Amino acid sequence: MAEQPLVEFDGVIKRFDSFVAVERMDLDIHKGEFLAIMGSSGCGKTTTLRMLAGLEAPSEGEIRLEGIRINDLPTWQRDTPMVWQSLALFPFLNVRENVEFSLKMRGVDAAERRKRAGHWLERMQISEFAERNIAQLSGGQRQRVALARSLVTEPEILLLDEPLSALDAHLKVRMQAVLSDLQRELGITFVYVTHSQSEAFSMADRVVIMSRGVIEQIGAPQEIYRTPRTRFVAEFLGSSNIFAGKVSQTRKGQVAIETPTGRYATAQSDDKPVAVGDSVTFAVSGDRVQLSAKTPKGEFNTLQAKVVGEEFVGATATIYMEAADGTELRAQKSHDELRDLSIKIGGNVFVSWRADAGHILPGE
Amino acid sequence: MRKSITLYGLTFSLPLLVWQLLFFLFPLVFLIALSFWTVKNFRLQPDFDTANWVRMYGREVFWQAYFLTLALAASASVIASVLAFPCSYAIAFKFSETARRWSVFLMVIPFFTSYIVRVYSWQVFLSDNGIINAALAWVGLGPFGMLNTTFGTMIGYLTLSFPLVVLLQLFSLMFIDRTLIEAAHNLRCGRLRTVFEVVIPSAKVGLVIAALFCFILTFGDFVSPLYLGGGDPPTLSILITDTTKSGQQWPRAAVIALTMIATLLTVAFAAIGYAYRGRGR
Repeated sequence: MAEQPLVEFDGVIKRFDSFVAVERMDLDIHKGEFLAIMGSSGCGKTTTLRMLAGLEAPSEGEIRLEGIRINDLPTWQRDTPMVWQSLALFPFLNVRENVEFSLKMRGVDAAERRKRAGHWLERMQISEFAERNIAQLSGGQRQRVALARSLVTEPEILLLDEPLSALDAHLKVRMQAVLSDLQRELGITFVYVTHSQSEAFSMADRVVIMSRGVIEQIGAPQEIYRTPRTRFVAEFLGSSNIFAGKVSQTRKGQVAIETPTGRYATAQSDDKPVAVGDSVTFAVSGDRVQLSAKTPKGEFNTLQAKVVGEEFVGATATIYMEAADGTELRAQKSHDELRDLSIKIGGNVFVSWRADAGHILPGE
Repeated sequence: MRKSITLYGLTFSLPLLVWQLLFFLFPLVFLIALSFWTVKNFRLQPDFDTANWVRMYGREVFWQAYFLTLALAASASVIASVLAFPCSYAIAFKFSETARRWSVFLMVIPFFTSYIVRVYSWQVFLSDNGIINAALAWVGLGPFGMLNTTFGTMIGYLTLSFPLVVLLQLFSLMFIDRTLIEAAHNLRCGRLRTVFEVVIPSAKVGLVIAALFCFILTFGDFVSPLYLGGGDPPTLSILITDTTKSGQQWPRAAVIALTMIATLLTVAFAAIGYAYRGRGR
C-alpha cells in the first residue's frame, strides 16, 4: 500500500513481569478502516488497544501514529479516545457535562463547548437527556453518551473496547448498525476489540484474530471465513471440520491427503503449495459438507460418522458428528434438508464434500 | 406486600433501640428539662423558667466562645482534610498492596493510647523549654511560644482527628472506579487536573464525611483547647465546666450543651445534604 498507514505496530512486545501479553506484533491500521481485533480473553487484544491509547507502554518495539513514534507520549497528549467496556462515564457529571469534558480539558470556551456538544448530542439522539444524570439513562442511551463524549473532539481514530458486551442481544444489533453507520459517515478509523465473532464479522472491513499474544490472521471477514490460515482460526470460528494428515500424491491442482479416517482429495494451496510427504492440516467449512443416508455418487470425499447432537440457530441447524477415530465433525443444514434426511441422534450418516471445499491451512 | 417491620427484624434491632432510648433520648429530654430548672442556694430545683436561656444567650462571653469553637472546629476540619488528602491519595493510588496494608495499620496505632496521654506528651514537645524549642535553640532560633496558643490547640485537634480523617478518605478513594481515571486521562485530562476533575468529585461523599467527623470530634473536644490551648478565651466545652463549677449552674451548662447539639445536628445534616447533592436526582 502506497499510502502511509495511520498506525503502525512495529515489532511491539508487551510484558507484564514474566507474562508476555503481546508477542512481537506487526500491524498496520489504515486511515478510515473499521478494524476489529478478535480473540478470547487473555489473548492480548485489549492490551494492544491500551498500548495504542497510551494506557500501557510497549516493552519493546515501536508504535507510530502518522509515522511519528508515540511510545512515550502520555495518553492525555494523544488524540486516541477510547470507549470503555464499562463506558466509564463520569457519574458526578450530567450527560452534557460528560460530552463537554474533553473540550473543557482543551480549554475550549463555554459557548463553543455547548455548541459542539449540542451537535453531538443531537447526532446521537440524546439531546432530550442532556441535563440528566448518567444513573437515569438506559444501557443504550449510555452507549450513545460514551460515543458522543469520545467523538466530540472529532478525532482521526476511535478505540472501542468491547463496548456492546453489556447490552442485550436486541440492543446489540441496533448499536452495531449505529456504529457501522457512524464509521462510514465520519470516515474515521475505528479499532474495535471484541470476543464476539458476529460483532467483528458484521462490522469490520478487516479482522485481526489473536491468540496468546500472537496475530493468527489478518484479513477481510469473508477471506478469514473462507480461508483460515491456522488451525486456531478455523477452530475459533467454530464452523469448520479439521483434518490432519500427510500428502501422498499431488496432481492438477489437487492433492491427496492420508488421514486417520481415510484418504481425501483437497485443492492445492495457493499460498503455500504442498509436496508429497508434507504434514498438512486442512479445513472443510461446515456449510459445504453434504449429509446423506447412502454413499453419494460422484467425486466426493466421504466418511461415515455417528450423529451426536444437533443445535438449532434460527433458520439453520448444526449437526454434530463423530468419526470412528473420534474426530469431531459438523455440518450446517437448513431445516428442509434435515427433514428429508431423517437424522437421528446416535444414527449413522455419510459426510461428504468436494475436493474444492477443502482448504489447506497455510499457517500450519 | 412485605410488612415493613417484622418480628425478626425487631428482635435484632431491639438492643439498638433500647440503647438509643436509654443513652441518647432520655438524657437529651432530661437535658432539655434541666435547662429550665433553677438554682437556689446552690441547690437544683425543678422548675419551668426561661431565665437560663435568656441569661446565657444575653452574655457576650457565650457568643465569643461559640464563634471561637465554631471557627476552631471548622479550621481543624479544613486543615486536617487538606493535610490528609495527599497522604490518603498516595496510599490509595501510589502504594503497593503491602505498603497500603501497613499504612492502614499505622493509622490505627494512635488509637491504642488514650488521647489525653497523647495530648500530655505534646506538652513535653511544645512548652517553652520543651523538646522542639530546645532543638531550635541549638541552631540559634526561638524560643517560640507554642503551648497555650491556638497553634497548640490545633496540634491537639489534629492528634485527635488526623488518623481518622486519613482512614475515611482512604476508603472513599479506594472505591473509585480506576477506569474513570483512565478515561479522564484518555480525554486529555492531565494527572494533576484529574485529581480535581475526577478523583475529588468521585470521592466527594467520603471526603465530606471525613471532614464532618473531624468537625464533630473537635467541636466538642475539651482536652486540646484546655491543655494545649490554655483555655483562655474558653471554648464551649471549657465554658460548660466553668459554668458547672461556678455555683452549681447545671441548668446554664445544659443551655450550652443543647446549643452545641443543635449546632452539630445542623452541620451534620448540611454536610450530608451537600455530599449527596446531585446524586440520583
